[in-house]
Amino acid sequence: MTTRRSDSHAEDFNRLETHLAGTLKRVAPPNGIVQRLRERITLPTRATITLRLHDWKTLFFVFGGVMSGMLLLVTIARALYYFVGRRHTL
Amino acid sequence: MTDLDYNEDEILARASQGDRDAFGRLYERYVERIFNYVYYRTGNVHEAEDLTARVFQRAMNHIKNYTDRGVPFSAWLYRIAHNLVANWHRDRGRKQEVPLDELPSLPNKGDHPEKNLVHSQEQEALLKMIRRLPPERQNLLILKFVENMSNAEIGEIMKRSEGAVKSLYHRTLLSLRDQLEDQNLNLEGD
Repeated sequence: MTTRRSDSHAEDFNRLETHLAGTLKRVAPPNGIVQRLRERITLPTRATITLRLHDWKTLFFVFGGVMSGMLLLVTIARALYYFVGRRHTL
Repeated sequence: MTDLDYNEDEILARASQGDRDAFGRLYERYVERIFNYVYYRTGNVHEAEDLTARVFQRAMNHIKNYTDRGVPFSAWLYRIAHNLVANWHRDRGRKQEVPLDELPSLPNKGDHPEKNLVHSQEQEALLKMIRRLPPERQNLLILKFVENMSNAEIGEIMKRSEGAVKSLYHRTLLSLRDQLEDQNLNLEGD
């Protein structure tokens, strides 16, 4: 009698475990979710980093642009200082 | 990236020194697992996305404090996820209750869609029951069935001994079986 009851318990548990295994399966996150999450935690992808480092033309233009911009600002500041300073001395 | 060139200790050391690329590799390895855990705990894809992002943000901010004391990195991540999910449930309890009974069905990996439909009603009933269990029992079932973890691995995450996990698992099955009987739900054998 006791053996039969424990057999039935084991059977119940086996059935329940089978159903749990069928229900709690690993799901595939929706498309793009992993990429969106990556962007949210601001991690550039390995490919992006490699691409950035290899794109020497862009790097050259960015560096050149920054330097030219700074030179322009310095020139304007010097010109302003020259004209304003001259007016004050006259 | 293959598993062959993946040395977690080395990557962890680099990540804890602020190497974002190294952290990116950890992210790639664990993001799907953490998403699954949060998804089953919240029952909502959007919340799962938001909370998963927060898990990794927190991990990235605190990885310097992560010291390997025999606890795997995955266990550390799951603990962060567990805490954030617990906070989320607490905040949700304070605000207006929105029933989370409809778990949006995401495709199971490698399942035929028709097979999904056949089982969906039974699965929904079972999922509802699981979501009514205490959080630690839900954790246990998710880690055991979704992540296929052993009792020892689950014990590391839940800070319990292997024996305690085994015992909790047994009690959880008993409780689920009783609930099924109470609701006169009969799970058909496969």
